[in-house]
Amino acid sequence: MEILTGNELVSGATVYLDRNGAWVEDLQQVRLFSANETAARDEAIARTKATLRILSLEIENVTVRDGKIVPDRLRERIRATGSTTPVFDRQHLTEDDHVSI
Amino acid sequence: MYRYDEFDAAFVNARAAQFRDQVNRRIAGEINEDQFRPLRLMNGLYLQLHAYMFRIAVPYGTLRSKQLRKLAYIARTYDRGYGHFTTRTNIQFNWPKLSDIPDMIDHLAEVEMHAIQTSGNCIRNTTTDQFAGAAADEIIDPRPVAEIIRQWSSLHPEFSFLPRKFKIALTGAPSDRAAIKFHDIGLRAARNGAGEIGWEVWVGGGLGRTPMIAKLINAYVSNTDLLAYLESILRVYNRYGRRDNKYKARIKILVHEEGLETIKGQVEAEFAEIRGGVLTLPQVELDRISAYFADPAFATLPATKIDIAREKILDPAYGRWLENNLNAHRVPGYASVTISLKPIGKPPGDATAAQMDAVADIAEKYSFDELRVTHEQNLVLPHVAITDLRTVYDALVEAKLEAGNVGEITDIICCPGMDFCSLATARSIPIAEELSRKFSSPQRQKEIGDLKIKISGCINACGHHHVGHIGILGVEKKGGELYQITVGGDATENAAVGKILGPGFEAEDVPNAVERLVDAYIARRESVDEPFIAAFRRLGDKPFKEALYGNE
Repeated sequence: MEILTGNELVSGATVYLDRNGAWVEDLQQVRLFSANETAARDEAIARTKATLRILSLEIENVTVRDGKIVPDRLRERIRATGSTTPVFDRQHLTEDDHVSI
Repeated sequence: MYRYDEFDAAFVNARAAQFRDQVNRRIAGEINEDQFRPLRLMNGLYLQLHAYMFRIAVPYGTLRSKQLRKLAYIARTYDRGYGHFTTRTNIQFNWPKLSDIPDMIDHLAEVEMHAIQTSGNCIRNTTTDQFAGAAADEIIDPRPVAEIIRQWSSLHPEFSFLPRKFKIALTGAPSDRAAIKFHDIGLRAARNGAGEIGWEVWVGGGLGRTPMIAKLINAYVSNTDLLAYLESILRVYNRYGRRDNKYKARIKILVHEEGLETIKGQVEAEFAEIRGGVLTLPQVELDRISAYFADPAFATLPATKIDIAREKILDPAYGRWLENNLNAHRVPGYASVTISLKPIGKPPGDATAAQMDAVADIAEKYSFDELRVTHEQNLVLPHVAITDLRTVYDALVEAKLEAGNVGEITDIICCPGMDFCSLATARSIPIAEELSRKFSSPQRQKEIGDLKIKISGCINACGHHHVGHIGILGVEKKGGELYQITVGGDATENAAVGKILGPGFEAEDVPNAVERLVDAYIARRESVDEPFIAAFRRLGDKPFKEALYGNE
């Protein structure tokens, strides 16, 4: 399965495209794209780019384990949870930073 | 220390206003990221894994107290209360918001600082010996020439879009504490036949995916001709450096592929054209800049011998700090103090806002308001009266900056790695912390002696792993992290690139692997006075390979 992820423009926070077309912080709310949904995925990418508000837009592979979405790459798992040491909470969106497509 | 003149101040303020407008237009959607990215990079603003990262230049690693206090203020107000000092002697903040960057830049301009040319394919921050102007072994203080290079290279119209980034380092002492042979250009103070002081020029050194030791391109260039000679090298590089492949675009590749003699011929031809022109550095101008770096008002003090053995009995921690963290000063009665940013089990190079404020206070009271940042990610108080050492130490204890481990195995260089960096392929900070904990005992560190570990989280080598006596490189393998260990690297005047002795290790196996190398060294050294690197050179790979991999 694939997801879309990026960083929000003002905060730089890690965000994910959710099932409602909003870019949110919570990985578990993410929209999953199956192998036969490339057209929908690509359309979401195009609409996201048009907002000019999401940077480093990437397609990432994930696996659903015990109902939890887990990125395949360690790098993405660190992006989803924050730095491992020193331990810091992730950057958060402020009220004005929310983006939808 | 150098103070901005009218031109410097106007230039920095104009750039701050320009970038504020660019940020506003980006947030308003008037320009897109493709248009904005080169603009933000020119101002030191990267996007990393979790947030933006803002890199601020510390020219030739020199700071005044009020500048460090301003960095503390920025850390506290706009970031998460700490900063990370880098191997380019800069400071990075890992959590700023784009909308705050213009205000941060305005604050920096108030104390004559900026973030210009801390990124991009331009001439980056020039670095030098952290003990410049203080070291007992110095031939000449390199800071005036470093400042002149800063002025020449700032927004140089020809060199703002080089094939790749370009780094210059210089040292005024025979002991190379600035790793000049691993820079695009390295300068070392030298005398000509008439006894005049000028510069040896080394070219084509570097780390990254293709580590190379710089080659001597000119054994003596006078101060008068130095800028013209540097300009000649940059012109040759700008014209012939590869732009087809970013991994082959540094000048080290050009020198390697074309050969030193070819490059030297091209540089000499260019030099013949421009020598004696507008880049001639008159002595009067060198004197004018040198006046900014005049000695502070040193007291006339007797040469004072510190009885370290006695102090170690009275207070072992203080005695250890005296033994490891001092450097001989050229003025009797003074010493340079290195403040270790390597507390046991913590990320190398980090300092909290409170610690920065504390160090600024100490520097103001006890080091003539001067501070240095080292490429080994520590801070230095360059001019401390020996009679003030105990007071300075006590103040450092209060700030939790009293680690007495400078030059020992826990004084580790380490890049941010995959915990922060978007380029990294593996984490590096957790490895540094584990090694630091494993070798935390002062007795064990003393037994091991001078041993430099350097760790990078990817092949770009920001953690200088190639020149660690023991180097560690984190790479991605099959979705996990794997760590290659190199042995025998050296960043000093005896420059050497470390050798990979065999397959990599899982993260949890790295500390024990390093311990096996250390034990192999201790078992085979001729005496406690033979350091790890000397033993490696004498013994060769074999015992260290056996220590890592057995007798396969």
